[in-house]
Amino acid sequence: MRGTDTLDALTAAIEHGRRDEAVALMRAAVAAGEPPRKMLDALAAGMADVGRRFSNEQAFIPEVLTAARAMKRSMAVLEPVLVDAGIRPEFTAVIGTVQGDLHDIGKNLVAMMWKGSNYAVVDLGTNVSPETFIEAAGDYGADVIGLSSLMTTTLPAMQRTVRALRCAGLKARIIVGGAPVTSSFARRIGADGYAKDAAAVVRETRRLMPAG
Amino acid sequence: MNHRQRFLATMRYQPRDRAPLYDFSFWDETLPAWQPQGLPAHINRANARTWFGLDASLGGGEPPGWYTGIDAGLCPGFEQAILEDDGDVYTERQGDGVIVRRQRSSVSIPMHLGHTLVDRASWREHYLPRLDPDNPARYPADWDQRVRSWADPDRDHPLFAPGSSLFGRLRDWMGLENIAMAVYDDPAWFEQMVETMAELALGVLGRLFETGARVDAVTMWEDMCYSGGPLLSPAHFRKYLVPRYRRITDLCRKHGCEVVWVDCDGKIDALIPLWLEGGVNCMFPIEVGIWGADPLRYRAEYGRELLMMGGFSKRTLAAGPEAIDAEVARLAPLVEEGGFIPMPDHRVPPDVPLAHYIHYAHAARAVWGRGVNLEPMAARQHAAADAAADR
Repeated sequence: MRGTDTLDALTAAIEHGRRDEAVALMRAAVAAGEPPRKMLDALAAGMADVGRRFSNEQAFIPEVLTAARAMKRSMAVLEPVLVDAGIRPEFTAVIGTVQGDLHDIGKNLVAMMWKGSNYAVVDLGTNVSPETFIEAAGDYGADVIGLSSLMTTTLPAMQRTVRALRCAGLKARIIVGGAPVTSSFARRIGADGYAKDAAAVVRETRRLMPAG
Repeated sequence: MNHRQRFLATMRYQPRDRAPLYDFSFWDETLPAWQPQGLPAHINRANARTWFGLDASLGGGEPPGWYTGIDAGLCPGFEQAILEDDGDVYTERQGDGVIVRRQRSSVSIPMHLGHTLVDRASWREHYLPRLDPDNPARYPADWDQRVRSWADPDRDHPLFAPGSSLFGRLRDWMGLENIAMAVYDDPAWFEQMVETMAELALGVLGRLFETGARVDAVTMWEDMCYSGGPLLSPAHFRKYLVPRYRRITDLCRKHGCEVVWVDCDGKIDALIPLWLEGGVNCMFPIEVGIWGADPLRYRAEYGRELLMMGGFSKRTLAAGPEAIDAEVARLAPLVEEGGFIPMPDHRVPPDVPLAHYIHYAHAARAVWGRGVNLEPMAARQHAAADAAADR
């Protein structure tokens, strides 16, 4: 198999969640000395493809989860190669569910999509206070902060968190999302971006930070 | 007309005195939050319907006898226990074997931390024995007395029977990520679990129908959608679930039960045609959400085959009297046509002011209820407004 064929097959294996095949193809690509950046791009392309189908309701949460699992296993093969090549994650993202909200499925999907796009992700979990977001964003030098909420009753907490992050003077861009969140609500509370689903968050991150 | 006649006439698009006036009860925080706004302290979820002047508050606030009292879930349940307590946040093993984190200051959906159902062995050991439809503990002790009431053709209230769940409960017991992987990693096991759930529903309903019970609706619970659509692909839904829904709904129809409703929050659009294909013909509670579900649009799309309950956005309730009146009026033609029982699209949350909910109940009775029993509502509205003003 030629290098480009291997990488195309890797992308397809990731997209369709075939983890054993993806890992085998990744090993083959590494053994063949494919450029690390190209291998990384092949992984990201697979996640982007499943993300696109997810946004269009052609793929669903099980398909995204199996793709993310295939990506994670393949990334474990690739990681030492990336370290040797001095390739670091493109951005650092801090993510959490806002205070008062214990839901994590949407947040976890976003974290997977970011990881699949070569972002370093710091997951703060659920029920995260504004102070914890500020501290983590500062400690990890976050480029982007993701705030998630499932309940209408925790939308005020999202607003308080955005306000606190602004007051703290952090440079990171803030993206919000979750079942009750709309783009107009995101604008009203002063967030930089809004993502209607986990796939959209990668596109929104790129829009906010095109240099990445 | 009595409650039963009104329910059946509505679902059959037949003439009736007025629409049924139901709601979907309240979050635990809501009624306490309304007390400082004028709600009397003795009003709870069980009796709220009378204070608001509604026929029934589904899920614990309906008049006696509307549900069979049959337990179609895990029987017996797991022993509940607090595993860790950090004050406001605590960790609990629930009756369904799921380990969750809850917050005392907020009664929202809890976060799942761990599951007892993780593989074939735990399914066989802990769940299969709890899903036996023949377990006598599922059935009320006063069975014979209930059977007489259930078979009475002149009963004044509808009877709703449990049709269990083919996917939703399994998703709860395993967690979304685990069940999603099971669909791909061990489809035979996934199908075996779904089949067990179908057999449970068929066994329980079969025993009920054998008594000659006149069941007016069978209720299923799935909650298998979120804001973006289904949690399971429509292809998998059609392959694993639709044939089993069909077996359950065929049994219901054979015994004269025309309505099978499914309780599913979230964006259900992609699944409606598949539920209809499986014979599940009533959607509940039509959560409007940011995705804009709309009973009028669904009627235009699916015609009279699709029955509906719900569809009144809780955000409209929070928005105020003008928005409430507009939505009540917008839905009125569909209510008049039948096949639709309007009610809030989920339990009413505490960010809805009491005055808004009183206004909603008043408007519902005035328009959908054709003016039934308006005076008590008006008096309560004024009393609540006065009480709030005094504060």
